[in-house]
Amino acid sequence: MGKKMTSFRGLCLIMLALVLVLSACSGQKNGGSSNTPNDGAAAGTDGKEQNSELKPYELNVAYLNIGTATDMPEVQAAVNAITKEKINATVKFMPIDLGAWQQQINLMLAGNEKLDLLVTGSGLNFGTQAAKGQLVPLEDLLEKYGQDIKKIVEPDVLKAASSSGSIFGVPSVRDWAADYGVLMRKDLVDKYNIDLSTVKTFDDLDAVFEIIKKNEPEMAAIIPEAASVAVVTSLVPGLIDPLNDDNGVLPGLDNDLKVVNWFETEQYASLLTMVRRWYDAGFIPKDISTNQTASEQLVKAGKAFAFMAHMKPGYENKTSLLTGTEMVAVRILPPVATTSSISNIMFSIAKNSSDPERAMMFLNLLYSDAELVNLIDYGIEGKHYEVKGEVIGFPSGVDANTATYNPNFGWMWGNQFLSHVWEGDDPKVWELQDAFNKAATKSKAMGFSFTVDPVKTEAAAIQNVKDQFKIGLENGTLDPVKYLPEFIEKLKAAGMDKVIAEKQKQLDEWAAANK
Amino acid sequence: MVNGKQKLFQIGLHVVFSAIVLMCLLPFVLLIMTSFTDETMILREGYSFFPSKFSLDAYAFLWNDKENIFRAYFTTIMVTLVGTFAGLSISSLLSYPMARKEMPMRKALAFFVFFTLLFNGGLVPTYFIYTQVFELKNTMMALIIPGLLTNGFFVLIMRTFFMNSIPVPIIESASIDGAGEFKIFFKIVLPLSLPILATIGLMQTIGYWNDWFNGLIYITDSKLFSLQNLLNRILLNAQFIQSNASSMNMSDISAGAKIPMETIRMAMAVIGVVPLLCAYPFFQKYFVKGLVIGAVKG
Repeated sequence: MGKKMTSFRGLCLIMLALVLVLSACSGQKNGGSSNTPNDGAAAGTDGKEQNSELKPYELNVAYLNIGTATDMPEVQAAVNAITKEKINATVKFMPIDLGAWQQQINLMLAGNEKLDLLVTGSGLNFGTQAAKGQLVPLEDLLEKYGQDIKKIVEPDVLKAASSSGSIFGVPSVRDWAADYGVLMRKDLVDKYNIDLSTVKTFDDLDAVFEIIKKNEPEMAAIIPEAASVAVVTSLVPGLIDPLNDDNGVLPGLDNDLKVVNWFETEQYASLLTMVRRWYDAGFIPKDISTNQTASEQLVKAGKAFAFMAHMKPGYENKTSLLTGTEMVAVRILPPVATTSSISNIMFSIAKNSSDPERAMMFLNLLYSDAELVNLIDYGIEGKHYEVKGEVIGFPSGVDANTATYNPNFGWMWGNQFLSHVWEGDDPKVWELQDAFNKAATKSKAMGFSFTVDPVKTEAAAIQNVKDQFKIGLENGTLDPVKYLPEFIEKLKAAGMDKVIAEKQKQLDEWAAANK
Repeated sequence: MVNGKQKLFQIGLHVVFSAIVLMCLLPFVLLIMTSFTDETMILREGYSFFPSKFSLDAYAFLWNDKENIFRAYFTTIMVTLVGTFAGLSISSLLSYPMARKEMPMRKALAFFVFFTLLFNGGLVPTYFIYTQVFELKNTMMALIIPGLLTNGFFVLIMRTFFMNSIPVPIIESASIDGAGEFKIFFKIVLPLSLPILATIGLMQTIGYWNDWFNGLIYITDSKLFSLQNLLNRILLNAQFIQSNASSMNMSDISAGAKIPMETIRMAMAVIGVVPLLCAYPFFQKYFVKGLVIGAVKG
C-alpha cells in the first residue's frame, strides 16, 4: 500500500514537472509573439528615418550551397564594401547544402533564428512557407524600395510568385520558359544524311528512328529525358498547364480556364498511341521503365541515339559536354512559361527579419548593380575570373577542380542577365535568353497555385493509380488500347472528378480575384 | 552409422552457414569490386564481380577532395572517440547507482530515464534549445551532445546488467575489506562489466560513426562536416551538376561530365565503412573476452 502511494506521488510529481515545462514553453511562445509587433514598430520607425540615415544592419542570407566557395569570406568582404556604402548594411552569407536544405530552413523559420532573406521556390516548399505565414508579403516593399526589380520582373511574371493573392517572392532572372523536343547525336545524323528540317511534329520522328534502328541495331533510338521519367512525360508541359499536379489541367495553357482531365483527352490518347508505336517498333528499350542511369550517360556509353528534352537557348552545347559527343536539338514545341517554371527559384524575405525594408533594398541591388551580381556569381576579378574579350573564364593555371571560388549559382542571385558570360557560351546568350523568355507563351493561369488540402485523400488515391499505370503507358510498355480505359476508370474511382471540381472552384475564385 | 549421420549433419550445417556467410559477404565484395570498375563498363555490362576493365577514377575523383575528406575523417574520429568515451562514462555512472538497492529515489530516477525513451521534445523544440539556449550550432559539441543525451536505452540495459550479473556479496565483501564506493566501482564493478561496456561501446561507436542527422541540422560550416555529411554532400553536388547542367558554366560541365557517378557511390561507401570495419575485430576481441570472463565464475 505504502509503495503504491509512493509511486502515485512520483507520478504526480512528474505530471507537475510536465505542467511546469509545458507552461514554460507556452510562456516563451507568448513572449515571442509579443516581441514581434515591437520589432515591427521599430522597423517602422527605421523606415521613417530612412531618408535621414540608415542604421547599420547585418542581413542574414540563406542560399543553396552549390559548387566550390572556399573563398567566400573574401567575396563576402568585397560584397560588404558595396552594400555598406549603398544601404549601410553588411551581408552574412549562410550557405546551406542541398541535402540539408529542407530541414535547416524549416528549423530556422520555425525557431525564429536570425534570417532575413532566403532562397525558395516551387520545389523548395514555397507554398507551405507562404501559407504558414513564414514569409513577408512584398507588394508594399516592392513599391517603396524595389523599383529596379519591378522594371525587370514584369507584373505578369511576378504574379507567379504569389500565394493566396499576395506576392511573397521575387523570381531570379534566368530561363523562365522551356521549349520541348529531342536531342540527337549529331555524328549519326550526319552519317545517315538525316534531314532534320523535315521534322515538324513528334510523328515525323518515326522516319528518323527507323534509320537508326536499321543501321545501329544495338542502340536505342529514343529514351526518356532522365531516369524514372517516361518518354511522353517530359513533353507534356509544352502542351498543357498542369496546375501544380496534372490532376485537372489546362490544355493549350488556356482553354478559357476550364479544367479538364488530361488523361481523358484525345491529345493524351494520341501521344500514347505514338509512344506505343515507337515501343512496338523497338525504338524504345524494353527495360526502360526500370532504368536508373542518366540519359546523358547512356548516350555517352553508346546505348542510345536520342533523348527527349526540355530546352533553352544554347542547351545542346552544354548537353554535348555531358554526352561526350556533339548533340543536335530538334525543337518541336515552342517555349512555354508556367507558374512553376518561373517560381522555381526566388528570393523571399523571412518573417524572422527585423528589418524587411533593408532586405528589400539588398534585393533591389541584386537586380540593378552589375558589380555586385558579378562579385557574387563569379568572385573577385583577376583572382577568381579573368575578362577575356566579351566573355570571362578562369585565370591561367586555374580549372574547375582547383578553383577556390566557383559556386555556379548565378541563376539564384537576382538578375543573372547583368552578369558576365562564361567562356564557351554564346556571348549573346543573355539577350537570346531574354528574347526567348519574352516570346514564351504564358499560361492563362499564371500565378494560380492549387491548394490540395480539401481533396487530400483523393489526391493520394489518384497518385497510387498514377504510380501503377503512368510510367508504363507513357513509355509505351503498356498497350493504351487495353490499359488507357482501365487507367481512366481507376482514376475516376479514386476521385478524379472531385479533385477537378475542387480545382475548378479554386481557379474560378482566383480568376475572379485577379480580374 | 551414427557417426555417418553426424557427419552428414555436420556437412549440412556447414553448407547452410556457408550460404548465409556468402549472402552477407557477396554484396559487400560486389560493392568493392564496383568501386574499382570502369564507369562505362558498368553502363554497358552492368555490375560484375569480374569487371573487364578496372579503373581508379572514382577514388581519383574523391582524392581531389582529399583535404576535406581527411578533415572530415578527423572530425568523425574525434566525435566517435570523445562521444563513446563520454557516453559510456555517463551511462555507467548513471546506471550503477540505479542498480544499488541502497540508493534513495532509484525507482523515480529509473522512471525518469525510461520516460525519455517514450517521449522526447520533438525536433523543433530540441533544435531551439540546442541552438538558442546552448548555442551549439556549428560547433563540434553539436555532433557529440545530442548523441550523449538520448541513450536512455543503454542506461537501462546497463542497470539490468549491474543488478543481475554483479552479485551484491562481492560489493559487500569489498566494503568490508575497506574499499570505498569509488574503489568498488572502478576496481571491481567495471572490470566485471566488460561485456556490457564492450557491447554498448560498440553500439555507440557505430551510432556516432554513422550519424549524419545531427550534422544535417546543426552544422552549416563545411569545416565541421563529419565524414557521412561530407560524402552525402559530394554526391548530391555531383548529381546536381549533372542534372542541372544547363545552369552551370561550361568549365564545370566538362569537369562534371567526367564524374563517374555509378562508381563514386560505391567508393564512398567503401571510404565510409572501411575504418570501422578495421576497428571492429578489436572490439570483437574484447567482446568475446568479456563474455568468457563474464561476471563471476564460482
